[in-house]
Amino acid sequence: MKPSMGLDRRLTPYIFAAPAVVIMLFGLLYPVVEAFRLSFYEVRLGEQVTPQAFRGFAIFAEALSDSSVQQSMAVTLQFSAVVVLVEMVLGVGLALMLEKPLRGMIVFRTLLVLPMMIAPICVGLIWRYMFDVNVGPINSWLSVFGVKPAWLAEPGLAFFAICVTDIWQFTPFVFILALAGLQGIDQSSIEAAKMDGATPLQIIRYVKLPLLAPILMITILMRLIDALRGLEVVYAMTNGGPGLSTELFSLHIYKSAFVTQRMGHSAALSVCLLIVTTALSALLLMWSNPLRQKGR
Amino acid sequence: MTITRRTALKATLGSALTAFPLPYAAGAAGTDWSKLKGQSIVINWPSHPHFDIAKKLIPEFTAATGIKVELDEMQYLRMKDAQVLQMSKPQGDYDVIVYVIMWKTEYVQRNFLTELAPLFANDALAMKDYNKDDIITAYLEGLGLVGGPRGYLPGPGAKLYGIPYGAECSVLAYRKDIFAKHNLAPPKTYDDMLAAARTVKEKEPGMGGLTQRAQAGHQVTAGWLMHLTPYDGLVIDNKFEPRVSDPAAIKATEVYKEFIDTGPAGGAAFDFGQCINSFLQGQSAMYCDSISIFGPARDPSKSKVTETVGYVVHPKAAKYSGELGGFGLAIPKNSAKRDAAFAFIQWMTAAQQDVRVTAQGGQPTRWSTLDHPDVKKIYPVDTYRECLKIANPDWRPIINEWTEISEKVLGIRLSEIITGKAPIKPTMDRAAAEIKTIMTRAGYYKT
Repeated sequence: MKPSMGLDRRLTPYIFAAPAVVIMLFGLLYPVVEAFRLSFYEVRLGEQVTPQAFRGFAIFAEALSDSSVQQSMAVTLQFSAVVVLVEMVLGVGLALMLEKPLRGMIVFRTLLVLPMMIAPICVGLIWRYMFDVNVGPINSWLSVFGVKPAWLAEPGLAFFAICVTDIWQFTPFVFILALAGLQGIDQSSIEAAKMDGATPLQIIRYVKLPLLAPILMITILMRLIDALRGLEVVYAMTNGGPGLSTELFSLHIYKSAFVTQRMGHSAALSVCLLIVTTALSALLLMWSNPLRQKGR
Repeated sequence: MTITRRTALKATLGSALTAFPLPYAAGAAGTDWSKLKGQSIVINWPSHPHFDIAKKLIPEFTAATGIKVELDEMQYLRMKDAQVLQMSKPQGDYDVIVYVIMWKTEYVQRNFLTELAPLFANDALAMKDYNKDDIITAYLEGLGLVGGPRGYLPGPGAKLYGIPYGAECSVLAYRKDIFAKHNLAPPKTYDDMLAAARTVKEKEPGMGGLTQRAQAGHQVTAGWLMHLTPYDGLVIDNKFEPRVSDPAAIKATEVYKEFIDTGPAGGAAFDFGQCINSFLQGQSAMYCDSISIFGPARDPSKSKVTETVGYVVHPKAAKYSGELGGFGLAIPKNSAKRDAAFAFIQWMTAAQQDVRVTAQGGQPTRWSTLDHPDVKKIYPVDTYRECLKIANPDWRPIINEWTEISEKVLGIRLSEIITGKAPIKPTMDRAAAEIKTIMTRAGYYKT
């Protein structure tokens, strides 16, 4: 049967796509638009948005000039840089070590990804216990050397502790993606390199990593976005302290919304975080866009 | 002072509240709760030792009244968002809320709570044997009254919006064995307490002097407040000007930091649970905080020091001043089951239930409970009465902005100070400026 070339045929894809588009608009775009709108109003939790509460960009100006907001953003950027870098190095390194099919490897890989499956709030509670100065296993082990660091009571150590926790939880995510990427590499490229006399390190440096680059870029992007939005772990471990030393931006936003109940202020901070996240993501994609590399 | 406050309270509540005879027998004697039978109420309930004990009585309430109860239980500092959201709706899900003292003024100013005096005046609803005069005065005034001087103190204009339940004052607990070992007397003053803290830190390896709350946010502010008013300091004065960098407040901050420095390892990040556990597990020689320690300190499953704990009144610095805090029960204005909610509040806070909860380790609400033989056997009742005498209703300013001041200003700056990251005076000057900004934004200085 000859397909019709009329209006019906041209509309068919749009009709099929329409439900998904409508859901996207209401489910994703509507809250973002509402957050933008709310960010211009000085309203508290539970209050109606009224014209009298309109403050315009004054809320943004106040938020951006607030030293605690600036410090919180600085902590977030430091945290994101540290954890993403370490997770990428460890995750890719582990994937390179464990890509070969060895005996018991399936069990080992399964164990390795377990941390990623635990709810972040539970991870925070587990590591809060691990780092507990008196009853935590870490200090119990360190007592052999006669030291007893107050992990969560010293600004530098607390920052280190939340980084370790995030790295423990999300290195497996990098590992899984890197492993999938490695297993998708055409073996003929590796064989060719071997025939040319490349050493294992040279194969990694000049064959595997370049072929893995598009996947790694997406992985970095996903981890960066996640790290910038980190909340639950610090909430459970330190509540942002000591001082503001571990107050990630999402925790700051949470406190603005639910502790001080300034919903407009909180929405303005959320918009700022969205802008920062989008800008960093755009920079990364401009630097190396895996889709563009494939000519799509 | 006490007489004035009581007089003001009586004037405020009116004769309806003063007419309830003792004692109360279980059930709804003399009241007409029969029409409430079959109703179901929802209560926002904290996870807290006192309330863990109290909730065991709820099936009895249902059996006695036919009113079913559903608890929405959560960590106590998390309750506020849920309560505000529910009470902002035309009709909320909660029929009773358990509120923390810090929230009472804000809730009333936002028109969230039902005034209780008219309900007590309703003969069909009020239990005939409910004696409000038996409720510990400081608790009833501190937790229940709103609208008086400064918006939250007892006095002219104050009205009753809640009944204290799980209320608390502060006490100093100390290790009798450790004090005896080093020839230390139970502290009567802050100088005694500081000297003891230094001695313990120096001479007891692995043990700290005083355990305190200090985690960034609400906890560090709560820890600092333990010393602020004893040194005659204030957060804000009667003109709502910040006073956290005044000499008295600076002295209190110095003392707080010294207690952290001579305290248990890691104490600068303790929340309340870690603070109390440090003492109960033998890692600290002193604890100066809520009387909620009385129950756990006797419980061998929670305490390693059951036989060696002594109690004295919160020591004197510039003056005697103790904490007044804890929880109260209130009825949201948008509850559709106000009468059943009121029945629940009365039943739970009646004398008989209060004794039973206290005897199991809960916190007493009534004077008569302190006189009960079962309670006297397990509670240091005399010390408790002394602590109540100095419980300060102006322990912290219970204004709408208090949560923001406590968590986002003091909760950060004090944390920076105790971790040695920031010098005391400039940091408290900065905190004062930040509080001023909040108060200005809230319109306190309009002429």
